[in-house]
Amino acid sequence: MQFFISGWFWFLEGILTCLMVVGLKFYMEDKGIPMPFWKWILFGLWILLAGFTIAFVGTSLGEGEPTAAKLGGILFGLTSTISGIALWRILLTGRNKT
Amino acid sequence: MTNKTEKKGFSRRQFLKASGAASAVAGGAGLGLFGYEAGKDPRTYRGWENWEGVNQVFNRKKYAVDQPTCQKVGPTRRVDARTEVIFYRRGSFMRQWREETGLEGMEPHIQEYYRKNPEDLELDIYSQEVIFPKLMEDRKKYQDQFRLSDAWSNAMGAVSPPRITEPPEVSDFPRRSRRGGSTEPVKFKDPKKTSKLIKKIAHELGSTLVGIAKLNPDWVYKYTSIGRGFQSDEPIEVPKHWQNAIVVGTPMSWDPMYANPNYGTSNDAYSRSRIIAFRVASFIKQLGYAARPHTPGTDYDLMVPPILVDAGIGEQSRPSIVVTPELGLNFRPAIITTNLPLHPDKPISFGVQDFCDHCKICAENCPSDAISYGDRVEVRGYLRWQVNTAKCLNFWNSTLGSMGCRLCVAVCPYTRKSNWIHKAALKVTADDPTGISEKALTMMQKRFYPGPEPQKYYIPSLGGENASYREPPWWLRTEDFIE
Ligand code: SF4
Ligand code: SF4
Repeated sequence: MQFFISGWFWFLEGILTCLMVVGLKFYMEDKGIPMPFWKWILFGLWILLAGFTIAFVGTSLGEGEPTAAKLGGILFGLTSTISGIALWRILLTGRNKT
Repeated sequence: MTNKTEKKGFSRRQFLKASGAASAVAGGAGLGLFGYEAGKDPRTYRGWENWEGVNQVFNRKKYAVDQPTCQKVGPTRRVDARTEVIFYRRGSFMRQWREETGLEGMEPHIQEYYRKNPEDLELDIYSQEVIFPKLMEDRKKYQDQFRLSDAWSNAMGAVSPPRITEPPEVSDFPRRSRRGGSTEPVKFKDPKKTSKLIKKIAHELGSTLVGIAKLNPDWVYKYTSIGRGFQSDEPIEVPKHWQNAIVVGTPMSWDPMYANPNYGTSNDAYSRSRIIAFRVASFIKQLGYAARPHTPGTDYDLMVPPILVDAGIGEQSRPSIVVTPELGLNFRPAIITTNLPLHPDKPISFGVQDFCDHCKICAENCPSDAISYGDRVEVRGYLRWQVNTAKCLNFWNSTLGSMGCRLCVAVCPYTRKSNWIHKAALKVTADDPTGISEKALTMMQKRFYPGPEPQKYYIPSLGGENASYREPPWWLRTEDFIE
């Protein structure tokens, strides 16, 4: 299981992130939603927040702190969800409906 | 033909979009697994994973200050260890106190101390008359539950260098070896280079952190009662060759430490630090210089925490222990006094005074109320927090754990394993001049890392439940291995 704290894991994580960005780009193009740079920045920040939340819960469980995992999961999870919904609405702005 | 291309293009786009979605899910899951592994990673047990000195990672230069953070604010006075160091005073109390003779039957300096500090006499009597009989009772009933942790503690303490019995003029200096080598001091080129060498040697010998200070004579005991070549009724003349102090030390094993007060032990780090100090002293003596180890639990001729502060190892905290950036309070130091010419380190200030000002987690969790909730006070001329050591020791004797309590060590937000969460929190608080992050993190710490009610840590006869801050590690659970 040492894979997940090795350099290979981060290499794979980088590839997955690239794929995710490409996938999102095509999705937005197909939906006629413009993606200027500031939307990408907001999206990147949200990904960091969501990633932080998941990693925080995992690390707290790993170090034997279930209360920290639970409360951190609720606090950061709610923040991620609410900001994610807000972000989605922002991303949809400027949608070409034709 | 056109239709075919469109169909192909369409499926490639769809494929990439689906891959993107799948990657998001896989990447998220990967982060969760990364976190889990990072939380369990044995390499985050700093100070127990290797001996190469790679754990002294904090950039102390950035936080160096000219004056130590426990400032001198008045006329200073050296400590009378016979009465002011709780272990020595309790020892004398137990030998000399008889109800029939009262204070009159005790040595004059102890009488004088108790007359000035009657609350300490009450606490010492309470320990003898109430706590010990109850402890004995509960040991019979519950001690078997801690067979493995007792054995672990005793095993860690089983190897120890011999006690020093001669005065510094004799014991500190090199003696001609049987092979007849020279005892003349070698000529070092440059104190800075010598300091670098000594630090490397100390790390190689197993020290997790190393620092060097000019020895401030204020830290040397005025009187002592444990011998080491000194008479208890004569004030200690600070030997001229005690010019520099080298700090070495190691942390206690992390998982048992979090399971204090019942499963942790100080013996593990004490033993390792003692052996390292004697080895460093031996190294220095073999090069012709004087060296004297001052080692835990009680073999000191001086106060240790202020020397750590001077040497930039950390800052003094609310429970009077030194907080280090790498290990928090989980650091058991030893000192080597020497005349080896060395270049001292600078003290550091990385926000501990401000943090302790409002955090108070250790005070809230201390079962004996020994840690002050108040501000720093002047103690023998220096500004610092004062801990009530008699109350503290009374709690040590109110649990079944090995050699003490250490809950303040376990609950402190600085005493965390070196994973990414805690490293980031340390960085943020050390660099935030506004104090906002400290307040936010303290609030989170209190809610995210709660412990049992302080009363539950006591033995049942004293109204407790033998509770521990965290569950013991699997290898110390007696019930899983022994019938
Ligand atoms: S628990 Fe808080 S108050 Fe106590 S030493 Fe640690 S930071 Fe300071
Ligand atoms: S060791 Fe225990 S009793 Fe002593 S000050 Fe720390 S928490 Fe309190």
